[in-house]
Amino acid sequence: MTISTVVPAVPATAAPPATARNRRGNRRNSTLATVLLLLGALYCLFPVLWVLIASTKSSGELFSTFTLAPSTHLFDNIGDLFAYRDGLYWRWMANTVLYAGVGSAVSTLISAMAGFALAKYDFPGKKFVFNVILAGVLVPGVILAIPQYLLLAKVGLTNTYWSVLLPSMISPYGIYLSRIFAAATIPTEVLEAARIDGAGDWRTFGRVVLPMMKSGLVTVFLFQFVAIWNNFMLPYIMLGDDHLFPITVGLSGLLNQGASQPAMYITVVTGALISIIPLVALFLSLQRYWRVDLGAGAVKA
Amino acid sequence: MSALPTSSRTPRTATRRGGRAAAPYSFLAPALILFVAFLAAPIVYAGYLSLRRVKVSGLGLGAGARTEIWAGLSNYSRSLADPDFMPSVYRIGAYGLIVVPTMLGLALLMALLLDAGRTRVGTFSRTAIFLPYAVPAVISSLLWGFLYLPRVSPFTDLVQGLGFTPPDVLSGSWVLWAVANIAVWGGTGFNMIVIYTALRAIPTDLFEAARLDGASDRQIAWRIKIPIVLPSLIMTFVFSLIATLQVFAEPMTLKPLSNTISSTWTPLMKVYRDAFVRNDIYSAAATSVIIAVATFAVSFGFLKLVGNRAFNQED
Amino acid sequence: MKKTIVGVLAATLLMTSACSSSDDDATTGSSAKPGEKVELTYWTWAPNMDKVVEGWNTAHPDIHVTVNKQDGGDPAVTKLLTAIKAGSGAPDVMQAEYQKIPTLVSANALADIAKESGSLKSKFPDSAWNAVTLGGEALYGVPQDSGPMMFYYRTDVFEKLGLQAPKTWDDYAAAARKIHAANKKQYLGTFSATDAGWFAGLSQQAGASWWGINGDTWSVAINDAATQKVAGYWGGLVQEGVIDNKPMYTPEWNAALNDGTQVGWTSSVWGPGVLEGNAASTKGKWKATLLPQWDAASPANGNWGGSATSVTTQSKHKAEAAQFIAWLNTDPAGIKALAGTANVYPASVDSSAALTTPPAFLSNQPDFYTVAAEAAKITKPFTYGPNVNVAYSSYNDAFGKAATSKKAADFTAALTTMQSTTVDDMKNTGFKVAG
Repeated sequence: MTISTVVPAVPATAAPPATARNRRGNRRNSTLATVLLLLGALYCLFPVLWVLIASTKSSGELFSTFTLAPSTHLFDNIGDLFAYRDGLYWRWMANTVLYAGVGSAVSTLISAMAGFALAKYDFPGKKFVFNVILAGVLVPGVILAIPQYLLLAKVGLTNTYWSVLLPSMISPYGIYLSRIFAAATIPTEVLEAARIDGAGDWRTFGRVVLPMMKSGLVTVFLFQFVAIWNNFMLPYIMLGDDHLFPITVGLSGLLNQGASQPAMYITVVTGALISIIPLVALFLSLQRYWRVDLGAGAVKA
Repeated sequence: MSALPTSSRTPRTATRRGGRAAAPYSFLAPALILFVAFLAAPIVYAGYLSLRRVKVSGLGLGAGARTEIWAGLSNYSRSLADPDFMPSVYRIGAYGLIVVPTMLGLALLMALLLDAGRTRVGTFSRTAIFLPYAVPAVISSLLWGFLYLPRVSPFTDLVQGLGFTPPDVLSGSWVLWAVANIAVWGGTGFNMIVIYTALRAIPTDLFEAARLDGASDRQIAWRIKIPIVLPSLIMTFVFSLIATLQVFAEPMTLKPLSNTISSTWTPLMKVYRDAFVRNDIYSAAATSVIIAVATFAVSFGFLKLVGNRAFNQED
Repeated sequence: MKKTIVGVLAATLLMTSACSSSDDDATTGSSAKPGEKVELTYWTWAPNMDKVVEGWNTAHPDIHVTVNKQDGGDPAVTKLLTAIKAGSGAPDVMQAEYQKIPTLVSANALADIAKESGSLKSKFPDSAWNAVTLGGEALYGVPQDSGPMMFYYRTDVFEKLGLQAPKTWDDYAAAARKIHAANKKQYLGTFSATDAGWFAGLSQQAGASWWGINGDTWSVAINDAATQKVAGYWGGLVQEGVIDNKPMYTPEWNAALNDGTQVGWTSSVWGPGVLEGNAASTKGKWKATLLPQWDAASPANGNWGGSATSVTTQSKHKAEAAQFIAWLNTDPAGIKALAGTANVYPASVDSSAALTTPPAFLSNQPDFYTVAAEAAKITKPFTYGPNVNVAYSSYNDAFGKAATSKKAADFTAALTTMQSTTVDDMKNTGFKVAG
């Protein structure tokens, strides 16, 4: 248990890098660095730029006009998208928010509890539990999806919100991260003090531990949020009723229909554009929480 | 266990006060219950399925014609003997050789450039490069899939304008690069942020002295920064490796656009084909187990090799 | 904390029921409610089927059908088979392509509704009826729509080059050469390695039947002489470079039809609906005719597409489901809605009443449905096997390679791969296979 005694010299979450720029001094700007970074940014933004332009085109223009020539049909396309089967697209967006929001919130809390226990307690079986959970990090979702379906079907939960929510609530990776965060941010002395004041374990967890882990937990939340948002296989297999679909499965279905009804392509492109907007907004507003030091634990060990 | 007194006091106090000993278990309970229900049980179930098979009698039509029987290891031997399996493994190897170094190299370069702080476009670039991480693989493959089509791609115009015949990136050996590009696009930003975080955590005085001695940014990067963030690089390498072995959504989305991407193009696509196209979940389970074991072996083998302890902090 | 409690509760609930309900018969697949009203679910991918079903729902307040729209024939079958394996989750009613019926029957997914349906045989052509009975006494569905193959071509391009609509495949090859010679970018068609059903239909026309039943033994004849002939023919055209080798149903192909790079399409009766979507700017320039023939003296045809409506074995309301299916496919109101609203070509022999005006895209061809009826009449028999999925995915992979290599010899070699993959799979599963 070396880790819990080390004062977080390499804090995974607590470092305030706001001052870092100043610490590094105001030195001459480098043209090469600027050019390289802009090239990187251009590469990453290009498909997003394309989808933005493409969604302004009419279905015929998509394949006929120059790739980067914008057109005037954006609102028609959005109108078509929202009119598709009485606004099914909105339902998909709402479902996605439900799956990713509720799933990752619950998952974060569960991970925080487990990570805290693994970081701050000694108990028989601890090492075994931690290693098993670590092994879980490596298991591909595609492999799990089929047996998960068969097991959930045995209890009649397939094709329900639960069939996607419940498996999303467990994240070995979230537990692994929470353990690092708990070890790095919660001094044992604080726990001792709370105990001497007579606070129970749960009370201490709720009043002391959670607030201290807050910024790390936001990172865990974001991780799991993206993981659920990205997950295609699980909802694809679990859900039969398209009113329960998340956006990825819904759009992929539209793309399949595009094969025989090419007018769908422009709807798919518009849908793709609109679906990434909330995620991008979430990312930009919570960007400062993306501070993941995967090596932090190793540095200290 | 080399527990220090300060830390081992916690459990001792705990046990003295009755019910406290149960505290860690109650904290762990929800995670463990869910882990057993949705990870352990499915894996055990997959293991069980991999030893079973369906036996059909006669024409196989009608209710009683199908029975499930024990198959021993025959699903495993068939999976390994499948002429499509090993080529898909080699393909994944080549794909990994392209993706992992390219993605991590770019991520490291961008992170170092950002950390050096010698540009005004830092925040913008960091955000832009990170952005693709927010795009689900299905959607990013869809976007690139469109951009690869000669009729849509602006590169076609560009290459033709230069007087060359544009290659069809969705056929022949180009496909590997086309799929790799999607993975690099989607993954560079995330790895960059991980490395950047580690770089920012380096105390300034560690390289300020070197700078005063006249060391260039490049020298500082090579001699000081990179060695310090090596543990982070190792972990990003392991996670990238795992992601590579599991590549699925990208080729699956591109498949209808290309003759070259077969239904067994990657090992996980073979699992998908066996389970969902051939309706043979038993072979699929066997192949799954093989892939899972290989993933464990590769990841832990690598960590052992580099002596990394991030995954093993209890010793 | 509330969320944790919910999570723990849900997980516990899951665990306890997982342990107790394995032999429980109370599957929750169908959503029947207590009381009089029966709820049925219907998985289909035909467009506007929810509107078709509305007609039934208003006329039959006590049997309510809900449409669950599917992505397409393959994903729907995938889901159904998984649900069958799992023991719950299947719909009551399922649209099933003809070539999937043996697979679904073999997986015990489709219920025999011979008793519930009564005598419908006279309402359908023999070939469609055979597909849902598999030649026996059982009835695994009622034919919904059929897909006799037809050839579509651009009249303006043909006229400009002084070409006639091809009567034979030799004519077709000559036209393909002439068109490509006149404009290097233009093709009369493409060989699609992603559409096994298309190639099966072309082989069917040439007289192939890839599977067969003799008593209790299956036979597989994917590399028979007829199919060899078809593969060699297309391989030759691809090798020559006068026919494209890109898959159909891609954005690229759609655009090619629209901008006049592809000027012909060996398709099926439902083709105009697709062309309307992907080649809208060429409306009025297309014409439909019979598929080119191998032997003009004895015209023949194949099928591409077409499906039945079936009841699944998990349905708890088989009688009501059968009643709905009969209405959908034999009642004049049902047929009219299928043809007019869902835009499919109903399988029923009574469909001509509902098919008086040509599809909107071919409004310039008043005799469209006369040609279609002729195409349907000369369709050859074809038997599908219990592992069509294996054969078709082998087609994708083997012909994908051949189409990339552009060598005619690889096309015929691909058939050998398909044949052995299919036979091996059947033998391995335990089917009795001859040869």
